[in-house]
Amino acid sequence: MTAPEMGTGMGTGIGTGRYIGQRVRRKEDPRLLTGRGQFVDDISLPGMLHCAFTRSQIARGKILAIKTDVARDVPGVHAIYTQQDIAHYKADLLSFFLAAPDVEMTPLANGRVAYVGEPIALIIADNRHIAEDAASLVEVDYADEDPVVTLADAARGLPVHPGTDNNIAAQMGEEEIDEELAAKLKSAPHLITHKVVHQRISQSPMETRGVVVTRDGTEELTLYITCQSPHLVARWLSLSLGLPETAIRVIAKDVGGGFGLKNHPWKEELAVIVAALKFGRPLKWIEDRYENLVGANQAREQEMTLQVAFDNDGKLIASHGDYSVNIGACPQLPECNIAVHMFVWAAYKMPAYGFLTRGWYTNTVGYAAYRGPWAMETLIRETVLDIAARRIGIDPIEIRRRNLVTLKDQPTMTCMEIPLEDITPAECLEKLLAHFDVAAFRKQQEAARKEGRYLGLGVAAYIEPTGAAGSIATMTGELAQVQIEPTGKVTAIMSTHSQGHGTATTMAQIFADRLGVRYEDVTVFEGDSSRGGFSPGAAGSRQGVIAGGAAIMAGDLLAAKVKQLAAHLAEASVDAIRIEDGMVHVEGSPEKSRTLRQIAEIAYGEPDRLPPGFEPGLEAKYRYQPPPMTFASAANACVVEVDTDTGFVKILRWISSEDCGTPINPSVVEGQIAGGLAQAIGMVLLEEMSFDDRGNPLAATYKDYMLPLISDVPTFEFLHANTPSKSVGGMRGVGEGGAIIGTPTLVNAIADALAPFGEVPVDLPLTPAKLLSVIEGRDLVSPTVAPEAPVVVAVAPLVSAAPVVQAAPAPANEILIDGDWKMVLSTPVGPQEMTGHFETDGTALSGYLAAAEGQQAFTGVVENGNNLLFDLKVEKPLKITLKYNLTVEGNRISGKCKMGIFGSAKLTGHKL
Amino acid sequence: MSKHHIEMTINGRRHSGDVEARVSLSDFLRDDAGYTGVHVGCEHGVCGACTVIVDGKAVRSCLMLAVQAEGAQVTTVEGLAASDGTLHPVQQVLLEEHGLQCGFCTPGFVMTLAALTDGDAKPSEQQLVSALSGNVCRCTGYQGIRRAAKRLACNEAGENS
Amino acid sequence: MKPAPFDYVAPTTIEEACAVIAEAGGGATVMAGGQTLMPLLNLRMSQPFIIVDINKIAELKGVSRGAGVTRIGPMLRQCDAITSEALARDLPVLVQAVRHIGHHQTRNRGTVGGSIALGEPAAELPATAVALNATIEVRSTAGTRKIPASEFYLGPYMNTLQPDELITGITFPDWPKGHIPLFRELAQRPGDFALVGIVGALVVEAGKITRAGIAWFGMGPTPIKAKTAEQMLVGQSLDTLDIQAVAESAIADTAPFDDQHASAEYRRTVGKRIFASALREALKTGEVA
Repeated sequence: MTAPEMGTGMGTGIGTGRYIGQRVRRKEDPRLLTGRGQFVDDISLPGMLHCAFTRSQIARGKILAIKTDVARDVPGVHAIYTQQDIAHYKADLLSFFLAAPDVEMTPLANGRVAYVGEPIALIIADNRHIAEDAASLVEVDYADEDPVVTLADAARGLPVHPGTDNNIAAQMGEEEIDEELAAKLKSAPHLITHKVVHQRISQSPMETRGVVVTRDGTEELTLYITCQSPHLVARWLSLSLGLPETAIRVIAKDVGGGFGLKNHPWKEELAVIVAALKFGRPLKWIEDRYENLVGANQAREQEMTLQVAFDNDGKLIASHGDYSVNIGACPQLPECNIAVHMFVWAAYKMPAYGFLTRGWYTNTVGYAAYRGPWAMETLIRETVLDIAARRIGIDPIEIRRRNLVTLKDQPTMTCMEIPLEDITPAECLEKLLAHFDVAAFRKQQEAARKEGRYLGLGVAAYIEPTGAAGSIATMTGELAQVQIEPTGKVTAIMSTHSQGHGTATTMAQIFADRLGVRYEDVTVFEGDSSRGGFSPGAAGSRQGVIAGGAAIMAGDLLAAKVKQLAAHLAEASVDAIRIEDGMVHVEGSPEKSRTLRQIAEIAYGEPDRLPPGFEPGLEAKYRYQPPPMTFASAANACVVEVDTDTGFVKILRWISSEDCGTPINPSVVEGQIAGGLAQAIGMVLLEEMSFDDRGNPLAATYKDYMLPLISDVPTFEFLHANTPSKSVGGMRGVGEGGAIIGTPTLVNAIADALAPFGEVPVDLPLTPAKLLSVIEGRDLVSPTVAPEAPVVVAVAPLVSAAPVVQAAPAPANEILIDGDWKMVLSTPVGPQEMTGHFETDGTALSGYLAAAEGQQAFTGVVENGNNLLFDLKVEKPLKITLKYNLTVEGNRISGKCKMGIFGSAKLTGHKL
Repeated sequence: MSKHHIEMTINGRRHSGDVEARVSLSDFLRDDAGYTGVHVGCEHGVCGACTVIVDGKAVRSCLMLAVQAEGAQVTTVEGLAASDGTLHPVQQVLLEEHGLQCGFCTPGFVMTLAALTDGDAKPSEQQLVSALSGNVCRCTGYQGIRRAAKRLACNEAGENS
Repeated sequence: MKPAPFDYVAPTTIEEACAVIAEAGGGATVMAGGQTLMPLLNLRMSQPFIIVDINKIAELKGVSRGAGVTRIGPMLRQCDAITSEALARDLPVLVQAVRHIGHHQTRNRGTVGGSIALGEPAAELPATAVALNATIEVRSTAGTRKIPASEFYLGPYMNTLQPDELITGITFPDWPKGHIPLFRELAQRPGDFALVGIVGALVVEAGKITRAGIAWFGMGPTPIKAKTAEQMLVGQSLDTLDIQAVAESAIADTAPFDDQHASAEYRRTVGKRIFASALREALKTGEVA
């Protein structure tokens, strides 16, 4: 391992130990290698029945009738439920932020269908075979409507959700480019406009979704569910169903991958859970792969146009981004991905940035997270930098050197007002370049070109916000509970959850080091909401950072307790006690050494021998709240050869140079990076979830949805920088980075290889046909024969839907501003409820806004008799000034809140 | 639909049962015989998670009917380690090389490698890697799996490298 | 993804199998290796009343020699074709083609006859049968028929096999010792169906091509015999052979399609190149041999 050379003067890492920093074998592996893991489909309960769904065959329409008679008569069928049958249960489809959706969403289709694969009826039967037999016999009559499928459709098509004005689910930023910014862009020596089209991706965990649910007693629910955090599922369900949280127990021992899809339950799981409440017997639903590819939420379908102005030296002057994401009909996150804009230039010295960002509803299956959900920022930035380098005529590495924020530049603030203290992308890049001889490669490339072989080098750098906690309700700290059992063995209960992350290993490494015991003597339990405490589990590259800190703190508390007791027993000072290899030694008195077991037996069983005030037992717990954000950094390089006869790409070499602070287990770290890089390769070359113009998915099997195989992924070379972060232990998150940085690295390599033929449009995936089109300068992608039914619609540019026009204030018959108002602000993290108190004195306005988090006073003015203007300064998540502009009409209030860099949010409310 | 009485040897133990014709070998092994280490990832023969060894050959158990395994010798991932818990060489090498993360696809990789390296077989690294292109892993990027295959392969001298 | 209900029988003789199939009156589906049929059943894209499993019919297995032909039993497993010494000697290009079918695990069950019967247009073996002028022997309760492979395929997954017929053998006419195998396919990942592929054999005597059997796969609704190319090649002296010109003409026989993976024009463009490079390489290797 590389020494933490960049770490000087930075955070306080724990460095390496007997176990920390070592390539320790994973505790999870023996059971998984021998088939003794426990995945959700391995659970079988007495009396359990099986479920299947009848799903929509069309993308959009009204349901005229659901005929279940024939299906109900199939022997072995117990019940068939439609939404009508379960409508009396509260079952809200909450977002990851635990917010209720802005549009109507129900577990089963409620009178309308909005995407192919939407569940319409749930069948309960003796086994899955019979359930599927019946599902295929449920007859649904539809009044078919033209679906809105693509982003272009969304902008001009009829609203997906009845009762809404347009298909914009969320919007932030400004529709008009700020004049000052526009001037900067226009007057720059070089202005590059770059568009990236990212295809839709299926997260494709190898274990599909699934749930086994049993109702115990009257209000107790036990769930086995494949998820990313049992605690989050319990919390989500408690709010969704309105049951007390203590009555819900969620168990997920082994989970076959999540990647964002399994953050929390969605329609199918919720329908099965409600059905179990109603039917009163344990139910199992295991999604099959067809359902997973058609009906499970998906990710990434997005388009972005980035304008970037450079001076003649290739230095950044200004930039503007316009981003759209297709979030389908029933998204888990009805969002517009503000993080893309927060981080697009965060690691670079960018003086000015403006943006417009929108999320669009369509008649496709909904949006869910996928490893690095905001990854577009790195993809578009790192590819535009290479384009700019070619255009301006400087080396792509040089253009990065001139613009990256280095350690020497910090502390500093990004153009989006994010403080930077210790990011190291520039340093990771230099480390990479020390390992990879670019000059030698360029010679090789030149020689190869003379032989008609096209090699390319792609380089990319990035930073990633990891271990975030404190700004979103679900993104909390982590809890570690650790005890030395009377046997002397250590058990710990963590709020973490592994879908392959190996947290039972990495946390055990920490406890073993901090407590001075053997790794083999530590067992870590997780995966059950009835023990440990809340955390969102794997979401946002956070567990190593936060839970690692919690384990260190709890381990140290427990070690102190052992030392206190041992010192008391030996009549020695606490400083003289040393715990090593499960033995407690007293300095200078070897005869007084005791085993941990002996100490523990006394601690639990002989209260008379304990120091005064000593709590019996050897137990400790600590909930660690990390800094709000910890940045990880990396630079990657890859070399490809593109076959100019066929457009096929071969990856010849790939080097990852990353800084994840203190690596708890380098093999686990590299495993996370490699998995992400493989997914990046899939996104660039292979995977694509597309639809025909009627909204039918074109990849319903793994024959058509092409995942990377062992032959598609090269052997990665790893370089580690290990600059400790400010978080306890010095870790930085590493879960998502590979999937973020891998994509532009590979795109850049392909574009470099094909530079003699022109620019490669970044329209993923870069299939052989697309690349050969660039090589030959002609279209080898589009169908050569017109489709039989010429329903091809001209693709219009994304036009802004009509902005929300506020009705001209009606003549105020009686405006009564003073008093309390109930108001809801639609923020990017979901609706925020608050109470507004207003007092007027002529045109002077004063009052306060109150929410669960507290209240804040303001002063402002009243214009035109009913227009309230006031500002509020907030500290979290960033220091920004909120500018409210509200209009009162009768007992209704509405308007906008401008939230600095976050753009505007709508507010509505009524008088209390 | 016809029902069939079948008998087969699974992991050295005789197992019999009555199955509907349409039940796949993977469902039979999991639901009737209780070998839940057989993982069903796609049910259309692409992901390879359900790979088991039938009469000495690695096959997709989702692409065989249970009734077709009548009289066969079947080995699942549960049947590889020694009774004292000593891991099979394939399992041991994957453990040492961090060849798995979530572990869902793992039984398929284990069984493919076990079938090819069984007994006197002397597969090359290229042969092993080529066979592993029939197994999908979404977590690891195949790094540890490739290292494991390299170690399990025979070098030119015919020795395990 | 569970199949719809069906009955299952596993006859042990061809006669028995034919009787069952005839009795089912079109409701039977024959299962050979099952590596394509099982996914179709699981997806309920195929819902037969009865599955006739022919795995237990010993007569359908093995490779044998006939008068001037190699006869392959349809139940020859693909893995066994790869290790067959007889095939390596007499039909090396077939072995090469089989290596590209699916994956190791599916080749352990999949059969030569199953692949030929199915007729996936982008698959290797149907094209191999067409290229090498194989004959497909079929039997029903009414008797036997021999169908030239070139007349067997009607469209994607459609062939001239009657509902009551069973393939009992595939015979490949002999190619002389020292003939040159020709095989090339372009697929995005190992085991994927080809975007473009070419398979066949050539005989070169005294510097002249004296015999050619070539077919395309992935280049139309069925495997396509490269008739134009065959005609141009036979009788050609290697010294004057214009490979590029042959490739340009060869593409005229194809009728590729557009799909989400590639356009027809991509397939044509790359098809020519694959054809030319495969031919160039085969003749070079042939010269050395």
